[in-house]
Amino acid sequence: MRRRSLRKPYITIIEELIKFALSVFLLSVLVFTLARLAPGDPLYAYYGERVEKMSGQEQEAARERLGLDKPIPVQYMRWAKGAAHGDFGISYQYKRDVKEVIAGRIGNTLLLGGLGFVMIFILALFLGLFCAWREDKRADRVVCRIGTLTSCIPDFWLSLLLILVFSVWLGWLPSSGAYSVGAEKGFADRVRHLILPLAVVVLGHLWYYAYLVRNRLLEETRADYVLLARMKGLSGKQVLYRHCLRNVMPSYLSMMAIAFPHILGGTYVAETVFSYPGIGTLAYESARYQDYNLLMVVSLMTGILVILGNMFAKILNERIDPRMRLKREAQKEEVRGF
Amino acid sequence: MKKRFPRLSLIILAAIAAGCLACGCFATKDPAYMDLANSNVAPCRTFLFGTDAMGRDIFAMIWYGGRISLLIGFLATLISTAIAVLVGSISGYAPPWADGAVMRITDLVLSVPGLLLTVFLQAVLGGESCYRLAVVIGLTSWMSMAKVVRTEVLQLKNTDYVLAARCLGGGFFHILCRHLAPNFVASLLFMAVMNVRNAIVAESTLSFMGIGLPVEVVSWGSMLSLSENALLSRSWWMILIPGAFLVTTLFCLTNLGNYMRKSVNKRHSNL
Amino acid sequence: MDVLTVKNLSVSFYRPTGEIEAVKNVSFSLRPGEILVIMGDTGCGKSVLCKSIVKLLPDIARIKTGQIFFQGKEITDYTEKGMQELRGTSFSMVFQNPMTALNPCMSVGAQIAEAVRLRCPEISRRELRNRVIELLELVELDCPKERAGQYPFQLSGGMAQRCVIATALAANPAVLFADEPTTSLDTEVQAQILDLFLELREKMGMAVIFITHNPKVAARVADRVALMRAGELYRIGDAEEIFEETIHNHH
Repeated sequence: MRRRSLRKPYITIIEELIKFALSVFLLSVLVFTLARLAPGDPLYAYYGERVEKMSGQEQEAARERLGLDKPIPVQYMRWAKGAAHGDFGISYQYKRDVKEVIAGRIGNTLLLGGLGFVMIFILALFLGLFCAWREDKRADRVVCRIGTLTSCIPDFWLSLLLILVFSVWLGWLPSSGAYSVGAEKGFADRVRHLILPLAVVVLGHLWYYAYLVRNRLLEETRADYVLLARMKGLSGKQVLYRHCLRNVMPSYLSMMAIAFPHILGGTYVAETVFSYPGIGTLAYESARYQDYNLLMVVSLMTGILVILGNMFAKILNERIDPRMRLKREAQKEEVRGF
Repeated sequence: MKKRFPRLSLIILAAIAAGCLACGCFATKDPAYMDLANSNVAPCRTFLFGTDAMGRDIFAMIWYGGRISLLIGFLATLISTAIAVLVGSISGYAPPWADGAVMRITDLVLSVPGLLLTVFLQAVLGGESCYRLAVVIGLTSWMSMAKVVRTEVLQLKNTDYVLAARCLGGGFFHILCRHLAPNFVASLLFMAVMNVRNAIVAESTLSFMGIGLPVEVVSWGSMLSLSENALLSRSWWMILIPGAFLVTTLFCLTNLGNYMRKSVNKRHSNL
Repeated sequence: MDVLTVKNLSVSFYRPTGEIEAVKNVSFSLRPGEILVIMGDTGCGKSVLCKSIVKLLPDIARIKTGQIFFQGKEITDYTEKGMQELRGTSFSMVFQNPMTALNPCMSVGAQIAEAVRLRCPEISRRELRNRVIELLELVELDCPKERAGQYPFQLSGGMAQRCVIATALAANPAVLFADEPTTSLDTEVQAQILDLFLELREKMGMAVIFITHNPKVAARVADRVALMRAGELYRIGDAEEIFEETIHNHH
């Protein structure tokens, strides 16, 4: 009965690593080409308005200095060589090493996105369970209504609304930045600056996942095993937690693995509106102002996160869910390759 | 669980759409006219919804801007749905290796930051007009829908009734129209409606961020791009009114989409 | 004294489109240790009858009239809480499709263990494991030690049904409901499972209500037979008597 995959596990790992490397390589080529094909002059990022006053010769010289005069493949080779040694070039806009620029900000984004992710992860489960248990009762309907409404509010407008209410009208919370300027950088100050952007990040995604959990759970409650479990003498709630939830967990976990880069990458709207110094605003600026080197690193970071998230999701799905395990083993024998 | 038809949503949506189409009849002021003497006026008799920082009448802008926003929503959806159905069904019908390749490419496009893709397309197409912006949004939002179409096709391909139709000698198009399409339509409609919603969100977000429509082209998104000033001058009407229209439209669309979605829970809960 | 008595039971489904009476004025009683077969066509209300006794029907279905007595005590108005006490220990049930009746994400051992532990929460791990294997041996599953760690999809239909039966028997029920337990199985396996029911009845002495639409199956296990049609129970009697009658009617 029990079938084992014919291949040894380390081969799978090597295969996954090769796929990963290939994806990253293709992604870097794609981003590199896209960025350079887009009209717009990176010199503006470096010199700002001064470009207009520069003579043609000066511009040429500047281009040569930044290595922008060569054809794209050559530029890419040069970039890749540097990247292999950990040198990603300088940011034209900040005139500092790209790594430094990012290092100064990544903590903020990780805090905002990471905290948002954890809250979404927990709240979505909680809300999903809450609604599934009260299926089609008044509480469920009200929560579904409100949830649908929150999922319809664009992030940027929610940010504006929150600023209008809590900063402008009530004056309770600051409307921008990660710290108060000049004030003591205390923990409380940090938290106060985090509340509104965090609320935007969480509310923007929460209902999508909560609704998914709810619907998955409802599908499970239709299964026959629920009857058997209740026949053992378990209460409805116990069945929901011990059986239905357990069966939903594998797909929920893999879903959240895919969600992580989404949530982290989706912070840029909140970051922009709240002038929160994070990677999101950096990505936005670098894409807009042709800050090539910075753009490459930021894009690769998010891209790698997406690829990793997908891989992780696949692995989770196959390892945790016993049904998938068998399916995978069966599939492997049928289809090889891609 | 019985689904109730979202009558109210449909009525509101129809009213907003009708208002946008027929705005010439009742919104008599020119939405582009900058009445600098009357800038930042709170809602009053003459300016029903007030004026913005450039002295434009918000009441007129809402209706004329709604035209643009809805137009972009529909155009972008047409484009993205067409691409998604094409890619998805080819991928679902093709042999596994081709399917794998197409899906890999889709994944790759998905892993490129959407922002970069948008900015790139914007720069290439020059997104000053609403048609170009619709193309940009359409081209950047087909990926996840294509995946859904693909799984749907894959599932349908292997059902017994399709096999039976094949055994009876049904051709590809016969099977597509008679057997696949009816199963397909519910989820496709749902996705299309959701795509309209997402396209409107994308338009407003991009315009708000300053990479969509410029301030002169009035849409619900570009109206909100002036809200930074509005926050400073506490002009709540400049933020709340366009936003309320935006959110209401999106909410009604979502309700409509949810109604169209194939009902999953036909049986009763065993809990 | 009868283990279970049902008097004038009517069960209705209340749909938005109107009321549908699925069980109409049914009365019968179940003697200790007997196997009562309820026979009838698909959709005649056999299954609803059983589920209404253990109160596992969806919310839209309600007992309209009638009484249910378990060992002389009326349980018609028992709430969910009261029923939970009875399920497992007094009543238990085996379902039609063993593949869907077992949780696909839990090993069968764990699912049986859950039923055991619910009734004696203080049981030690070792004892629990022994008890699970004991139960699997009771239902004559081969290599019970290995099987306990396996998942439902790794078992054949017959093996899975044995596991469902083991789960149902975990708390020594007084009445076992078997809702078409052999319908989804091969004929050969069917016979084995039927024999198992007879054997288990000998060993454990519980009464069985066995639902089927198949007269052959009924003839193999029945002590008494009740015939149902369109929600009504129109005939009940000893197996030989009823089968003789039907044969007569056919000729």
